Amino acid sequence: MSEQPAVRTSDVWKVFEHDGIAVEAVRGVTLEILPGEFVVMAGPSGSGKTTLLNLLGGLTQPTRGKVWIDGADLTTLSERALARLRLERVGFVFQAYNLLPVLTARENAEFSLLLQGMAEDERHRMVGELFERIGIAGLEDRRPAKLSGGQQQRVAVARAVVGAPALVLADEPTANLDSATSLALLDVMANLNRELGTTFVFATHDPQLMERAQRLIRLVDGAVALDERRSAPASP
Amino acid sequence: MTRSRRGVLLRLARRNVVRQWRRSLLTGMAMMLGVVALVMARTIGDGAHEDWIDSGVRMGTGHVTLQHPQFRFSRKLDHRLPAAARARIAAALEAPEVASLVAQVTPRLEMMGLANSPTAAVPVNIIGVESEGEARFSQLGVEQRRVGGRYLEPGDRLHAYVGERLAQRLDLGLGSRLVLTAQDASGEIAGQLVRVVGIYRTGVPEVDEAVVHIPLATAQEWLGVEDDVTTVAVLLTSAWGVPRALRRLRARIGEEGDGIAVLGWRQAMPELDAAIKLDDFWGYVFNVVLFVIVALAIVNTILMSVLYRTREFGVLRALGLTKRETATVVFTEGMILTAVAGMVGVVLGFAVTWLLWHDGLDYSGALEGELTFSGVVLDTVVVPVFRRVQVVMSLGSIVIVGLLASLYPAYRATRIDVAEAMKFEA
Ligand SMILES: Nc1ncnc2c1ncn2[C@@H]1O[C@H](COP(=O)(O)OP(=O)(O)OP(=O)(O)O)[C@@H](O)[C@H]1O
Ligand SMILES: [Mg+2]
Repeated sequence: MSEQPAVRTSDVWKVFEHDGIAVEAVRGVTLEILPGEFVVMAGPSGSGKTTLLNLLGGLTQPTRGKVWIDGADLTTLSERALARLRLERVGFVFQAYNLLPVLTARENAEFSLLLQGMAEDERHRMVGELFERIGIAGLEDRRPAKLSGGQQQRVAVARAVVGAPALVLADEPTANLDSATSLALLDVMANLNRELGTTFVFATHDPQLMERAQRLIRLVDGAVALDERRSAPASP
Repeated sequence: MTRSRRGVLLRLARRNVVRQWRRSLLTGMAMMLGVVALVMARTIGDGAHEDWIDSGVRMGTGHVTLQHPQFRFSRKLDHRLPAAARARIAAALEAPEVASLVAQVTPRLEMMGLANSPTAAVPVNIIGVESEGEARFSQLGVEQRRVGGRYLEPGDRLHAYVGERLAQRLDLGLGSRLVLTAQDASGEIAGQLVRVVGIYRTGVPEVDEAVVHIPLATAQEWLGVEDDVTTVAVLLTSAWGVPRALRRLRARIGEEGDGIAVLGWRQAMPELDAAIKLDDFWGYVFNVVLFVIVALAIVNTILMSVLYRTREFGVLRALGLTKRETATVVFTEGMILTAVAGMVGVVLGFAVTWLLWHDGLDYSGALEGELTFSGVVLDTVVVPVFRRVQVVMSLGSIVIVGLLASLYPAYRATRIDVAEAMKFEA
């Protein structure tokens, strides 16, 4: 395959020191995620899903091994360069309380564009289109406290994808939503993946999400136990 | 950091301050109270010191004293200001840049001597004065201080103005005669007969027993010094002008080698200077204690809000802010609080002080009898002094306190571990 992976790891380990005992949360994971993939990482609680996701996004530095995003080796980057890479190349969606409470839905969604100094009308146009596409048009000026859980997660998804990142990492994005709302949010992300070619990597226990996976990675005890591709990656 | 980034950080900080208005209000109140107390203490303190200095310099030798460099130590007529020196001094005092600072000038011929009556002899400090100028200067002659008779007047010759205690010790009344004796210019003991024309009381024993005023011309003739004096005392329009007046006078008159010393009141009256410095020291201690309390209040509230908002800072970092930028948000929040609370505090402090005490704060109720110190009677009514310097200093110190108090919480914000912060806790 000639295409550069969105993210790639090579024998990556994460060992935590906990009360003097070493906890090997991630044990020698090597994998490549291609642009346009819709990857779901599943596995029992404590299997290392969150830790691996944090490693992929540069929120945690590996104890051993390497991680590349768009070909850049995260382990060699300075704190500033890493922050910049996160800003420009990675989107995050967390389980809940993702949004900055003092900013409106639009300001939250356009946060990375704002930091990058994009002009206001351009930002508004992009966020407007995105809100339209994911079904939250008209909520732009509301603060997060005035949005439902599902609406908040959509704003979080909008914020993650708006800057056209190399990959979007989502840790249990549906865990706090009821199943109908979860399904709707999954549709939103699947559509974004199909239509814009956004790369998604999920960590989840949600069977609905696993069903949609185009590639399913099963983690057991911090290692990849299964990696199965079900269909080809989306192309933008 | 680009401008757009700074703008975003500022917006976040500003909105956080507003969103946590309860916290902001509390912190702001603590700071405001601090500033109000500071402003009150400073305006009253400065007012009191101005009074002390004013009383002190009037009793003594003025804000600025011109003497022979040795006179302070020897108190001898040998160390006096001859005609040439007096002329130089007069010219310097008339120079426009000096004259603009000067309120009153008075020449004096001072000497140690004895006051003799048929019953006793008492050592005294005899001062030959120009009655008109002196009346406005020392205020020994003002009506409130007078217990009988009048102050010296132009045209007086063999008259003396004495203190109540001296009068008692020598058994003098108005019109009584006494003989003053002192060493004259040639070193001989000479006597001079004078008559009591007025009696005063300051309440300070050392003054009331020892200071005798006689006409300058009488003293000069008696001691054979022609038109010479020992001291030219200068009262300025404000104590704040002293350093400037000293600088300008010294530039014109030259350094001490030329036979004239230009002394500030701090040099001429070291005890008063020490007392004010001591009082200032306690004032500073009070300020420091106040600021430590205010700073702790700020550190506490801002730190609490940082710890409470760990997740928010985790999100910011995940979104691509650097550690430094998250710290900037916290720091800016602290500085916004500081600036607003500081400004309101300063305005409020001045307003409250002015409303309560612009006519003066009378603390005589808290005292028994008169308040005197190091030979000075103090007024028990202090009028607060309002100055631009105080506004600047109050604001400056609160900004420094806010700055220091915001640093630690800002530092703590950089210690937040993103992965840890993003762990979900329902
Ligand atoms: N900061 C830490 N210090 C010590 N141990 C940690 C730390 N973070 C995670 N671990 C441990 O690492 C292992 C993997 O944790 P991780 O959160 O990645 O699992 P997970 O698959 O996301 O679990 P869940 O499905 O419950 O979210 C666990 O044993 C956990 O206790
Ligand atoms: Mg997890």
